[in-house]
Amino acid sequence: MNFSKKAQVEVTFNWIYIAIAGAVILLFFAGIIVKQKIASEQTLDRDVMRIMENIFTAAQISENTKTVIDMGGLRDYVFYFNCEEGVSKYGLEGRSMPVEDQANPIFAPNKIQSSLLITWSVPYKLPFKVIDFLFITSSNTKYFLWGKTPLSQDFSRAISNVSSESKIKVDFNTAEIQDLSEINPGKNFQMRLIDFEGKLKTGDKLPTAVEEKIAYLPPGRVTAVSFHGAGASTSITYFVYENGWKEQNKKPLNVISLGGESDAALYAAIFSGDDSIYQCNMRKAFQRLSYLNEIYGGPELATKGIPGGKLGEIISFYKARPELLMTSECVNYLTEDPNQNVQAALQSHQNSANACLTLFTAGEIPTECTELVSTAVNLREANNNLAERGDCIPLY
Amino acid sequence: MNMKSHLKKKGQLHISETIAVLFIFFVLVVFGLIFYFKYTQYALKEEQNQLSTARAIRTTSKVLFLPELACTRGSAEPEDDCIDVMKLRQLNATINRHLQEYYYNMFGYAKISVVKVYPKEPWAVQTEISNNSGNISFNLNVAALGEERWVVYDLPRPINLTKEAYSYSSTYFIVTLRDEAIGGEKIHYGFGYIEVGVYG
Repeated sequence: MNFSKKAQVEVTFNWIYIAIAGAVILLFFAGIIVKQKIASEQTLDRDVMRIMENIFTAAQISENTKTVIDMGGLRDYVFYFNCEEGVSKYGLEGRSMPVEDQANPIFAPNKIQSSLLITWSVPYKLPFKVIDFLFITSSNTKYFLWGKTPLSQDFSRAISNVSSESKIKVDFNTAEIQDLSEINPGKNFQMRLIDFEGKLKTGDKLPTAVEEKIAYLPPGRVTAVSFHGAGASTSITYFVYENGWKEQNKKPLNVISLGGESDAALYAAIFSGDDSIYQCNMRKAFQRLSYLNEIYGGPELATKGIPGGKLGEIISFYKARPELLMTSECVNYLTEDPNQNVQAALQSHQNSANACLTLFTAGEIPTECTELVSTAVNLREANNNLAERGDCIPLY
Repeated sequence: MNMKSHLKKKGQLHISETIAVLFIFFVLVVFGLIFYFKYTQYALKEEQNQLSTARAIRTTSKVLFLPELACTRGSAEPEDDCIDVMKLRQLNATINRHLQEYYYNMFGYAKISVVKVYPKEPWAVQTEISNNSGNISFNLNVAALGEERWVVYDLPRPINLTKEAYSYSSTYFIVTLRDEAIGGEKIHYGFGYIEVGVYG
């Protein structure tokens, strides 16, 4: 009888033991599976971001090139873009660590969720090429072009041009409108109104019929950019629609550009999600400009007036070759011409770039930066004299 | 008594059997873990190599289109795959002045060099022919012989961060080299390559 009870205990114990051991083993493998799943998701996120980084790098360096990227399985993910304190960040929302970029200006909406991504690279010149601006948008971001100005015509022409590299016509999903009542966002992910004539004001409301059409869009997906002035005095204001247009930037942002066709700084304003993306990325361009100025004029031109860099080399070249026919004329255009010589123009340009960067703060582009436009025009003129009138070695 | 001792022996056998099973089980688990970690290490190295290669290609692309090096002429588009040697000579000093705050973010741990391979001699040779009392004399000023190399950027990965020696993989790209400071009236073009190495 005693033995029988013992056997019963043993059998029960065995089953409990097996159950516990089985559970432990099961938990162990379940843990491994969970960890593996998390790890593979992280790897996938990293791979995606690495591929995006490669695509963006390639897109940016190919000057004046538009590219369409098929997002395939990533069409359900939301990509976000922002730029703070001179660092651009982009990544998959709620997922992996974002990619950070301190050097390359990337102008994009705050969020993108689409099956097709569009990239466009445009060189920024002040007056020499400073950097390529990369614009990123999507096939389901609708742009309404409101108003007719030289800028609107130039922009329409530029977006419809066939990319020289890819030979593909890229559809930027734009619509020209004469009146705000023509706005129809369709089933797009977001919409941006481009007010070329600077008519928008805080508190303005869209027509009721349009408000009904945009009602499905979550907050922050109906935005606008408004251009004021023209040429060197152009400024921009960003708006977001929250039961009426609401200004995003406290003060209008100055656009630093030389104007003309394919104006990268103005196009950048159109593609930037908000004022902080625009302003932060422009700072990157000015930073690069100051380093390029050093390549052209040396580090002591701005502070001590001593030419170095490429300019110094050109001056030394002509001084060492007095037998050349054009030497005296070239030296004149380089250093002596009282109207416009390259050395003085480059020195002013360096000083303006340094002042612009020193006074740059979050939230505004200082007025000192606007001086870059006039100094760049002077430098361009001096360089043209050198190259065209004097047939000398140009600075750039 | 006999029966009791028999049962005790059976119990001991059971315990030994359980221990043996557990031992084998844990041995298998340990083997599995060792295999898994070895595989992970190998996969990690493979991934690092792939990353290094991708970074090298990315860096080469960036270098090829650097405005700091591009051959420009006014507002015209820059010449493709061309390096302005006058700018190239200034670049190393400029990069070193702004290495940490800017160029490191662009290139990371890498070495970028530009090598001129042609012309080796005539590049800086001036030949003067003078006729002194009927004798012809040749005056050759050879400023540079052989390959010329400019190290534009060099930032090796600090060794003390890792016990393992870092890997180094490089890519090459052929370029033309424009030097306007030679010759004077004609623009001189040379031929060379960019070597971009990344420290993995």
